[in-house]
Amino acid sequence: MSITDQVLSALLLYGLPVLFGVILVCSVGIPFPISLMLVAAGSFVEQGEMKLWQVIAVASVAAILGDHIAYGLSRWGGRRVISRLSRKIGVEENIKQAEALTKRWGGSGIFFSRWLITALGPWVNVASGIAVYPWRRFLIWDVFGEVLWVVLYVGIGYVFSNRVQAIGEVLGNLTWVVVGLIVTAILGWQLVRYVRVNEQVG
Amino acid sequence: MTKLSGRQWLVVLAFVFVVSFTGLFAVRTVRRAVYWHRHQDEAIRPWMSLGYIAHSYGVPPWILYQALGLPPKAGGPDRRPIREIAREQHRSVDEVIGILQDAIVHARPPYPPPGPPPHPDREPTPGRSP
Repeated sequence: MSITDQVLSALLLYGLPVLFGVILVCSVGIPFPISLMLVAAGSFVEQGEMKLWQVIAVASVAAILGDHIAYGLSRWGGRRVISRLSRKIGVEENIKQAEALTKRWGGSGIFFSRWLITALGPWVNVASGIAVYPWRRFLIWDVFGEVLWVVLYVGIGYVFSNRVQAIGEVLGNLTWVVVGLIVTAILGWQLVRYVRVNEQVG
Repeated sequence: MTKLSGRQWLVVLAFVFVVSFTGLFAVRTVRRAVYWHRHQDEAIRPWMSLGYIAHSYGVPPWILYQALGLPPKAGGPDRRPIREIAREQHRSVDEVIGILQDAIVHARPPYPPPGPPPHPDREPTPGRSP
């Protein structure tokens, strides 16, 4: 039986504690089909088997807590390791540049990786921690993004309550399309710059 | 002709890879969406409860309980996934899915609509023998 079947079976049988636990570990970085789980929770709300406010509160708190565990570990644990390694292999300057970039664009990156490009969420948590992104700003963007994510996916599950499996599959594929489009745009921009520089040199 | 360095070729290769990856997932997304749009029913999965399956297929839940020889649910919601029901009945999940699909087919047109649910005091109609 697939991991999806096991997670959704556990959600049906045990409800909110499973919702909390799975979202927490997934936010730290362990991959689980949590978007599908939220859609399923929305469907169970519509069928009267779960309460809407409880699902939204539990899922949001679990996601925010998980993000903060990853952020905290990277900021106070991972940073020392990264600093030592970067000095040894001579990439200290690159790390500083990455930190500066994260500080500048971190807010929108944190917000959009919570609900639109959820596959990048755990990476953004780690990058924000390593770059010592200010905690208060991280908290604000994180809360906005995670609550939006939970309300959006639970809402989709509520509206399409009789199509959980189908909706979950479409949303799962769609997330990777969005990630792919963003990376395509970044690499495409890089290629355009190369061509322009080469033309100026030539 | 523009000459590219080794690093620039790597970016070109990464670009081609990412475009292919994105295209593949875009096609998968559209195919799934089209399939879902054309087929009103989604496949029965081991995680689904009888209540959810009845909701998804638009049939009365008691039809499914009766098909599996289970008493109609009383009191709170029955959250058992069908894999749990299969385990309790010493059946395979595939066998349970087959029984449910058969019951659903017979509860929909061109078959006559199912009547009212059976009286709770009466014994449930036994399901297929394992």
